Amino acid sequence: MPPAETTFLEAIRQALQRLLREHADVVMFGQDIGAFGGAFKVTAGLQKEFGADRVFDTPISESAILGAALGMATMGLRPVVEMQFSDFATTALHQLLNNAGTLHYRTGVAAPLVVRAPCGGGFAGGPFHSEDLEAFFCHMPGIKVVYPSFPADARALLMASALDPNPVVFLENKYLYRHVKEWLPTAWAPSALGAARVCRPGSDAVVLTYGAMVHEAIRAAELVHAEDGGEVMVLDLRTLKPLDTDSILAAVAATNRVLIVHEGWHTGGFGAEIAALVAERAFHLLDAPIWRLTAPDCPVPFSPELEKAYRPNAEKIRDALLELLEH
Amino acid sequence: MNPQKDISKDAALALLRGMLLARRIEERLIRLYHQGSIFGGVYCGFGQEAIGTATTAVSTADDLFAPCIRDMTVHLGRGTTPRDIFRQFLGRAQGPTRGRDGNIHYGELHRGVFAFISHLGAMLPVITGGVMARRRLGRPAVGFAYIGDGGTSTGDFHEAINFAAVFDVPVIFVVENNQFAYSTPNVHQFRCTSLVDRAAGYGIEGIAADGNDVLGLAAQVGALVADIRVKPRAVLLVCETMRMRGHGEHDDGSYVPRELLAAWAKRCPIVVAREKMLAAKLATAAELDALDVAVQAEVGEAYQQALSDPLPNPATLMEGVYATG
Repeated sequence: MPPAETTFLEAIRQALQRLLREHADVVMFGQDIGAFGGAFKVTAGLQKEFGADRVFDTPISESAILGAALGMATMGLRPVVEMQFSDFATTALHQLLNNAGTLHYRTGVAAPLVVRAPCGGGFAGGPFHSEDLEAFFCHMPGIKVVYPSFPADARALLMASALDPNPVVFLENKYLYRHVKEWLPTAWAPSALGAARVCRPGSDAVVLTYGAMVHEAIRAAELVHAEDGGEVMVLDLRTLKPLDTDSILAAVAATNRVLIVHEGWHTGGFGAEIAALVAERAFHLLDAPIWRLTAPDCPVPFSPELEKAYRPNAEKIRDALLELLEH
Repeated sequence: MNPQKDISKDAALALLRGMLLARRIEERLIRLYHQGSIFGGVYCGFGQEAIGTATTAVSTADDLFAPCIRDMTVHLGRGTTPRDIFRQFLGRAQGPTRGRDGNIHYGELHRGVFAFISHLGAMLPVITGGVMARRRLGRPAVGFAYIGDGGTSTGDFHEAINFAAVFDVPVIFVVENNQFAYSTPNVHQFRCTSLVDRAAGYGIEGIAADGNDVLGLAAQVGALVADIRVKPRAVLLVCETMRMRGHGEHDDGSYVPRELLAAWAKRCPIVVAREKMLAAKLATAAELDALDVAVQAEVGEAYQQALSDPLPNPATLMEGVYATG
């Protein structure tokens, strides 16, 4: 019987399991991740397999979780901690910004730790369970930010994040957990942080995006193709910091039209950083203005009709692409 | 305690020396600050030298420390050299932070000392995790986490102590109640009668101590840490003391009542230690004076050495943001 397709969630669980199996220095902790298996069941079965001294529950203390992870990392462990929702990491941002992100620069001591943070919306989670905060994390010196969109990438990039000698924020878009499946290779490819991937080729325009929006962009590109035959490239950034600027510039050179899509807020969003990069380095290659399609600058609304208006999706991306291609 | 019976002459002299070393370094830093020869601020531990000195004196190589801004004695007690301290304050390339951070924001982890950051309370979860990890890796560490009276109002103080209590992490949370947080007196900082009362809420022991008696404190914390090594657990140790200067040297501290300072001046930890040692006939006045002279010479030499050390090369600005390999 061929192996079944693997969900995004299961791929992450497999990476965690393999990390615990192969690396005695890996420990995991967070809220409800032990016997309960986590709010989304990403850590299901791990405490049973590896024991409560390697996978354990903590009090509801995000700052203590991140701070303790930093202390552990400096002593030779590799903590992989879970923020139950990335929204809740905001009560502990100072541990990342001021402590974890500055430690190596100030003292030369490395802090290999991973902060797993389920993020994003699309399921009526309301303002405090749907936020997409990658721009906050990317703004911090000394922190790496990984934001996968496919199960195989999530599995490989989580391994790479845990083995990196730096603090890494690993963003898990909750919408992908159970909506996205794929066949996973039996052999685990080694994966380096900082490499984007063309997940749909095209020569008429490129969508620069990451996370759940990659899947919306691929669907939008297919809609555009069906409608007017245009070929739209989709570039999945996969890692936001370090950013694969070479792949972005190559994609711009190959298409000359750029649409940036993300589900985080507009002002100061990560798309602004990408737009600035393209404007600074590839302005001469552009046939049209750089466009951004993002969430608007309002809190994430609860009611599904409002959230649909709030969150970018394939139809909105298609509309933007059709207009961009006309430009 | 009976100093003559409970402590050797050498141990008592080492405690006094530790306090004198910090005091004389800080006196030099104050002069440099007012001459405009120091980059940034200078924050002193005048009056609080007994706490870091006594607690490091009873520690072992495996123990971990998270000092605050007035705890130069912790760094000295763990072996950081006066030359490195001057390099740090003078922003030198070879200092503990290679010019990346200033004044008291340093820590040599190979000596078990975490580098302080300005956000009060932020180091308390870090050292808690550090002790958990070090013990897991086979080194029986006890943690010494220092915080001021003002720092007890932070969320991290609460999160870290509760976290350490839940997991029975052997950390001594040392509150240095120096009566003022910048300009804010205790009465505007907390409503409990004593900060020792906070311990009950975490289900841990709360212990009061005289933070200005280095000999008494070394004996008290020595017994406490010996017990914690046998029965690992978090403990709150509240040391009463007094900040004898302004918050920093930019601050004249004029909001502190003069009579309060005068009363605490009589309890200066260096004066108290001297008097106790003389009364117990552990040393003669001439010996103690000679110790101070030797310390002052050492401090002067360390400063001169650091002064001749190079400043960082601006071309290294981006070095070390990320760890490699």
